[in-house]
Amino acid sequence: MEKLSLVLASDEFEKLQAAAMMASVAAVSGMAVNVFVTMSAMTCFIKERVDRKDFLKVGEVGKAILRKKAPLYADLLAQGREMGDLKVYACSLALDLLEKPLEEMVPIFEDVVGVATFLGIAEGGQVLFI
Amino acid sequence: MAEEIKVDEVVDARGMYCPGPLMELIKIIQLKPVGTVLSVLSTDEGSVKDIPAWLKKVGQEHVQTEKKDGFWDVTVRKVK
Repeated sequence: MEKLSLVLASDEFEKLQAAAMMASVAAVSGMAVNVFVTMSAMTCFIKERVDRKDFLKVGEVGKAILRKKAPLYADLLAQGREMGDLKVYACSLALDLLEKPLEEMVPIFEDVVGVATFLGIAEGGQVLFI
Repeated sequence: MAEEIKVDEVVDARGMYCPGPLMELIKIIQLKPVGTVLSVLSTDEGSVKDIPAWLKKVGQEHVQTEKKDGFWDVTVRKVK
């Protein structure tokens, strides 16, 4: 099975949208997809913020996405998980630094892992860093 | 003229943004028996290119794409 891994490090709304589309479409196309959420991207998965649509960095395209009610990154990832082989991992360092438990994040995460674990998971496949 | 294609079910994804129409198709095609013909209606042009690409990747059949009045009709056959 083809394997694709994505590292989400940015809190830019459009980057998260693009990555989530990539990941979900890859998953429904028969690829094994692993997503590692780390650094500032982690803040964009805090459930309370996602529910309030409180996104920090939204550009022109992002505003249109919100205005036109296109599906958001968290929903796209959830859909990819339901319909294909897509797993989302939370970076343990990012959660520690934010002092947040995984329970406060949107419920799409498989597990909390460190970089070494993710490298093992991603080994042998393509990796996109976003 | 090509023979008339009998469509079993219409997936109306008009108004949805990419990858909405593709996702709608996938949700429905999974539940259908082999041989089912689905017609996906889309106003999103990207999806009109994306659906045949997905079909090719997963080995399902793209029957045809027709431009209608303000939308496209992508006909798909589940072959496996």
